[in-house]
Amino acid sequence: MNQRAHATSVLARRRIFETLISPGFYVAQTIGLVLAYFLVAGFIRAIDSSGFDYQLYPAYELIGRSLVGAFGATFVEKLFSEGPFLFTLYIAFLPVLLYLAVSSVFRFGLEKKVGALELLAYGPADSTSYFLAALIKDILMTAIYLVVLLVFLFVAGILNNLILGPSFYYSLIILFFLSIAIYAYGIFASSLTDNSASAIAVFLGLILFFIIIMMGSFTIVSGYVRNLASVFAWIIKWISPLFYWDLALRFVEVGNWGMYFIGILLLLVLSTAVLLISHLTMKARGVRS
Amino acid sequence: MIQTKNLTKRYGKFTAVDGVNLNIPAGEIYGFLGPNGAGKTSTIMMLLGIVKPTAGEIRLFDETYSSKRLDLRRRIGMVPEKHPTGMWTWMTAGEYLQMFADLFGLEDSGKRIDHLLERVGLAEVKNKKFAEFSRGMLQKLSIVRALLHDPDILFLDEPISGLDPFGVKQIRDLILEENREGRTIFISSHILSEMEKVCHRVAIIFGGKLMAEDKMKSLLTTLAKDREIHVGLEELPADLPGKVKSLDFVQDATGEEKTLVVKVPKTGDYRKALSKFLIDQNLVPLSIQEKSLSLEEAFVTITKENINMFAGIGGEK
Amino acid sequence: MKALRIAIPLFLLLCAGLLFADVPVREEQFIYSILAFNGKDYAGTFARKDADTIYLVADVDNFITVRKVFVYFWPITEDWKTDTSALNIPFEGTLELSGRQAEPETIGMTPYTYYNIRGEYELNWKVAKEAEADQAWQHYQDLMDAYWQSVSKYYETRALYEALLNELTTRITKMRDQGQDVTQLIDNLKKLKTPPEPQYPTEYIVPPMAVQKAFILNLPVGEYNIRFYTEDGLVMEGSERRIVAFEKRRAEAIGLEVIPGDKWTRPVESKTPASVLYIDGSTDLYLRPFYQQEYNDLFYEKMRKNDAKGNPALMKWVRIQQVPKARVEVTSPSSEARMVLEEPFYVEQVKGAALGYQIVPFDPEGKHKDREPSLQAFHIPITKDQRVVRVRVQDKDGEYLSSSERQIRIITPSRVGFISLILAVAPLVVMILVMARRSRKYTN
Repeated sequence: MNQRAHATSVLARRRIFETLISPGFYVAQTIGLVLAYFLVAGFIRAIDSSGFDYQLYPAYELIGRSLVGAFGATFVEKLFSEGPFLFTLYIAFLPVLLYLAVSSVFRFGLEKKVGALELLAYGPADSTSYFLAALIKDILMTAIYLVVLLVFLFVAGILNNLILGPSFYYSLIILFFLSIAIYAYGIFASSLTDNSASAIAVFLGLILFFIIIMMGSFTIVSGYVRNLASVFAWIIKWISPLFYWDLALRFVEVGNWGMYFIGILLLLVLSTAVLLISHLTMKARGVRS
Repeated sequence: MIQTKNLTKRYGKFTAVDGVNLNIPAGEIYGFLGPNGAGKTSTIMMLLGIVKPTAGEIRLFDETYSSKRLDLRRRIGMVPEKHPTGMWTWMTAGEYLQMFADLFGLEDSGKRIDHLLERVGLAEVKNKKFAEFSRGMLQKLSIVRALLHDPDILFLDEPISGLDPFGVKQIRDLILEENREGRTIFISSHILSEMEKVCHRVAIIFGGKLMAEDKMKSLLTTLAKDREIHVGLEELPADLPGKVKSLDFVQDATGEEKTLVVKVPKTGDYRKALSKFLIDQNLVPLSIQEKSLSLEEAFVTITKENINMFAGIGGEK
Repeated sequence: MKALRIAIPLFLLLCAGLLFADVPVREEQFIYSILAFNGKDYAGTFARKDADTIYLVADVDNFITVRKVFVYFWPITEDWKTDTSALNIPFEGTLELSGRQAEPETIGMTPYTYYNIRGEYELNWKVAKEAEADQAWQHYQDLMDAYWQSVSKYYETRALYEALLNELTTRITKMRDQGQDVTQLIDNLKKLKTPPEPQYPTEYIVPPMAVQKAFILNLPVGEYNIRFYTEDGLVMEGSERRIVAFEKRRAEAIGLEVIPGDKWTRPVESKTPASVLYIDGSTDLYLRPFYQQEYNDLFYEKMRKNDAKGNPALMKWVRIQQVPKARVEVTSPSSEARMVLEEPFYVEQVKGAALGYQIVPFDPEGKHKDREPSLQAFHIPITKDQRVVRVRVQDKDGEYLSSSERQIRIITPSRVGFISLILAVAPLVVMILVMARRSRKYTN
């Protein structure tokens, strides 16, 4: 095994251990699962003789109205066509995704600033093995959480006679790969900046920008907003992980499995490209801030 | 062991290190001195492979060195001035050292860690979180970390700053002990009195340029304009300095309480002649001590001259 | 106090002002009146002056006319509407179409008419053009002529019948008074048949209108531009529009109209294939399977109504028509699969003081004689103790229709639902255990 791979492995094991003995990951999971519980419970309360009607339960009415207002009735219909789990998956995943991504970005910036990265470089471990270790940790924790969430929702389904539909599984898989791309962008943001605050600002700014462009081209609200977002989307889409996420889901909707897996592959390619740029940036900037 | 040739580092228009040529033989304790902003840290970072030189060459163990030469980097240990605060707070001292041992791929690392901790007196706190360590303990831990992989060269950046006298002595003893075992030690420090006690060779850098590099004694001798002999007397007659001045080897003589201070040329041993003169004056020298230029004085001499030089050429820096 | 004396009346005036809705401002506008094919038949909409794009289904005939009307915004439904009763001036001219083809194409006006007929399940708008339009109009004219003739003849026959009836009854009365035998006359009276009333033609729900002229746009998928040239060859200002011709992405999927027994006037539709229908099991369901096609949400909504909103990034299923002569296979874990046929049902008001109704099988010979069924559907009995019912649709040839499978899951409040909440906080428990163990390691 070459030195970089060895250093990555050593650091990754430490990061994983650290995450498992620290409260943050468990708290984030609990927040996600509790959100999931309430969303599933609320869905059940919004069922009558003809099916799910979001207007029957206040929390869901708020959610439903907001989504209909922003994205249209078709969007809401599709979101809940198989039950509550697709929507719940995205909402419940958010706390853990944000926790892992933001904490890694914060940590990277902080360690660079206080000289921990430099210390590891005496190790010898370079910045690339450092961020690869962080990435491995984030990917593993994400996989663990997705399994936990899947088990939780499966049990909730059994207890309440709900089932996990095919859209749920497609989305679960693609979410995993989407998160890798998001973590890669976190590393990229950290490589560009000198401290945690700047890194988080750049990272969140990037992700928010991708989200706004995506949502903008999705919205029914205003033709002008949509047109403007579409122009940006045409330029930005190639570097936006959300574009490939959407692409994969569109293709799997019509049963085009080949393109679904190509969407996943493109997410991995994007992640790799972003990591490569981060590696070159770190190499040029060095480990000292 | 370490040689540099025209080592240069520029940050934009600013030249931090300008054509530095170092020659650090194996087995020595090498002191690297300079005021703040002189280029010490940049030089050290280049020697460690953390920062890439703008120009020049570094040779380590008779081989051309760059950051890619991990095989050579593995033969270096580094103790930075400050341990990163707030990092790895969940780790015990043992876990922290184990991480670095694993990074170096050391076998039997457990025994090595225990042995080194024993040496520096930290064996009892192996399972304590090192975030709770004092400054001195952290410094010792840092040294242990740097020694884990048995490096040929140990870099120390301000190893005793912030330590109490006991801690200072412990580190000094450790440095001397490591050197006796054959390790080359590279120290960068502001505490010149300590450097004077341990270093075999020193280099003084100022404004990015190497101003002086030589063995300690040679450097002090070279820079010293003259020497002083301090003679302790039971009583110091008022006219004694005047009488001593009449001696042909005496450049100047003054009295300070019960001590006669005599300035003599840099070379030559004039203690016997002086003793004889005093005895002839019916005076009994209680003590005779030769005071040569201290390292601090040498440092100030060099840097002051160069400040004047820089001020004359390019204005103040 | 003085301020209050002023403020209160002012406030009341303001409230009073709000009670009176503003009369909508009508504006004379040049519009494109559109009769667009929507997947199964035709529906009308219009593109007003601010609408820069017209959306049409590709590869089918769509009819566009140019006219001047009053346009106004109706705030109650948040809709733009036309007032053609006050102003409706059609323009004749030509349409210039540019886009995918190299040279712009000039399109002239074509005669057409449209009408509505009763389909197998739904009403269908049909459009006839050119010679067919004349034929349809003529056919309707002929039908109505025949009807009015038969009405006329009926009145004559009826008059004769009534005269005869009158005469017979008068004679019978007179002869009876005279004590004569009236048996034969009574027989004759009984044999007298009321002349049948002429039947109004039921071929059309909405009969064809008189043949008009329109531009027929049958465009391949793509984007185009149009502008209108008046009869004197000049471009009408403000007539430029973009046209988006779109097609369906998928077709022939099956959706289910779900009519709950307690809300039969508010059916829902299960359109997404593989969707799951979660219900509370409080009432039976009545299903109607239909064919559906998938269109872009934004394009389809704007094709139906040019001012509508839609999501450009989503595809929606659109109901086309009910599956004719279908059968529904119903399976559940507790019973074998059985076929359910389409049956008529009648909605009866519940007698007594209680409000409500019940859906019962339609009895044309009995209590529902001379009435029409309220609905025709497939009855799926539901009970709360069922967990899941699966349905699948067969066509008239007995072939299962793909994407017609649906699960109906009956959701009842679970007494063990709280287990989920316990599971949700399980990570915290793990955290406490891990941190306690680590802490013990330090203290040791």
